[in-house]
Amino acid sequence: MSELYLYPRWVRLWHWTNALLFILLMFSGASMHFNGVGLLLDFQAAITLHNTAGILLTAGWIGFVIGNLVTGNGRHYQVQLRGFLKRLITQSIYYGYGIFNNAPHPFHPSSEAKLNTLQQVTYIGVMYLLMPLLILSGWAFLFSVYLPETLFGIGSVWVVAMSHLTVAYLLILFLLVHIYIITTGETVLTNMRAMLTGWHRDTHQETEA
Amino acid sequence: MRRRVINKGDTQLGVTWAWGSRTIGTALLLLGSLHAGASAVQDASDNKSCLRCHQMATLAYRDPTSGEIVDLSVDPNALSHSTHGELACSDCHAADYEQYPHPDRLKDEALACVGCHEEQDDAQERRYRFETIDKEFKHSVHVTSDAPEAADFGCHSCHDPHAFRNSEVGEDIAQIVRDDNAICMSCHEELNDPYRDPHLWLPKREKHREAVRCLDCHTPVSESGQPVSHQILAGEDSNRDCVQCHSKAPQLLNRLYQYRSETDLANKGWLSKAVFNEAYVVGMSRSPLIDRAALAIIAITLLGLGAHGYGRYRAYRRSKEDQT
Repeated sequence: MSELYLYPRWVRLWHWTNALLFILLMFSGASMHFNGVGLLLDFQAAITLHNTAGILLTAGWIGFVIGNLVTGNGRHYQVQLRGFLKRLITQSIYYGYGIFNNAPHPFHPSSEAKLNTLQQVTYIGVMYLLMPLLILSGWAFLFSVYLPETLFGIGSVWVVAMSHLTVAYLLILFLLVHIYIITTGETVLTNMRAMLTGWHRDTHQETEA
Repeated sequence: MRRRVINKGDTQLGVTWAWGSRTIGTALLLLGSLHAGASAVQDASDNKSCLRCHQMATLAYRDPTSGEIVDLSVDPNALSHSTHGELACSDCHAADYEQYPHPDRLKDEALACVGCHEEQDDAQERRYRFETIDKEFKHSVHVTSDAPEAADFGCHSCHDPHAFRNSEVGEDIAQIVRDDNAICMSCHEELNDPYRDPHLWLPKREKHREAVRCLDCHTPVSESGQPVSHQILAGEDSNRDCVQCHSKAPQLLNRLYQYRSETDLANKGWLSKAVFNEAYVVGMSRSPLIDRAALAIIAITLLGLGAHGYGRYRAYRRSKEDQT
């Protein structure tokens, strides 16, 4: 049985703020996008909520990047190329096969590496590719007057709108998989508890010296 | 506030602006007698001399031929705020107005917008080129229509030269829309009649009327680089396709959204714009292809996750059974 303090307070605060903003953004975004369909927000209220949450999300993302630069948390996002493919395949085989046969977890978080390779790649893609695209396209929506009239020969507002929409859908997909995957810890709630308390428990792992 | 001129003879674009009456009317005669022999317009740049009479809201006469009232009044406040506000009356009305009553021949005074505007030094740099406007206008339904109401239609039918001004970025969008649509509605009274309004097919009619200008649907997307075409389209030729604004069609959407965005920004500053963004148009981010594909992928993912979870549950049950 080991207990590791993996998630410092600022990471947890950022994570749950981000989660809340994500839910608000999804709901208000859907209310704008599918306005008129039942159970959605009033159009103007949705716009205000969506934009406010978007601004806060931007601030949160900047905070996250700065946090990773000035604290040790950034090391979890540095890919170790040695054995990368092997680790990635091992992890994928576990989720696709081993997990149904009660195989042991191939990865055990440590203070050096709290993310398995599959997680790491996903989070890098989400935080350093999709999130910037989402944020940029969101702001471009608001300040499209400063953009050229056309981008790639198509009206720029349309390009911006479609980018924002596509990235938003990809992030919804991420969120669904993310919420599911965190239940694949030692118990269904192990990972969730870790993000709430900061402490990761692992009965199959000896406490580090 | 713009006001439509009811000078019946106001045909423009090089056509004569006729006063339309054989005599200038009894009202003027009466007024003129007060000033008989005086040289009223001593200083051409001094509009006060003209406005002394013409600012009277009731200055008008009835055209003996048509029987219509010809309004001769000019609202000094509207004039000073209008696009022509800095001009002297005599810059346009160059003819001899010193006599009272003004001589009969002045009713044939020719005033052409295009000529004057294209002669100006900055004509090239203007957002609107009057030559283009002229070309577009000639294809406008107001010109091509045989309807008697459209006879003698000209610039001044919509643009009161004594009051008109271009809306500017920074003004309240709702106010711009109201003012603009008021021009159309001043003739198209049937639009206010719920039984005759040809827009009955349009969902959220009132919302549209408050939010977009008639012109936004009733003009083709201009390729001249000018913000709005002067080729006003007949109802049957106008845009009836919701997705032209509420979805892709980059041009129409661009025109609408960008203008509203600019105005929004200038009105409120960037932070407020960022929070409230009045420019967003319902459905502008909609793409049936992306929506369908994404919703399908999300559904498949959910099914996959559900199946995965079920597989894990069975594995868990098996391990429990093995333990017992």
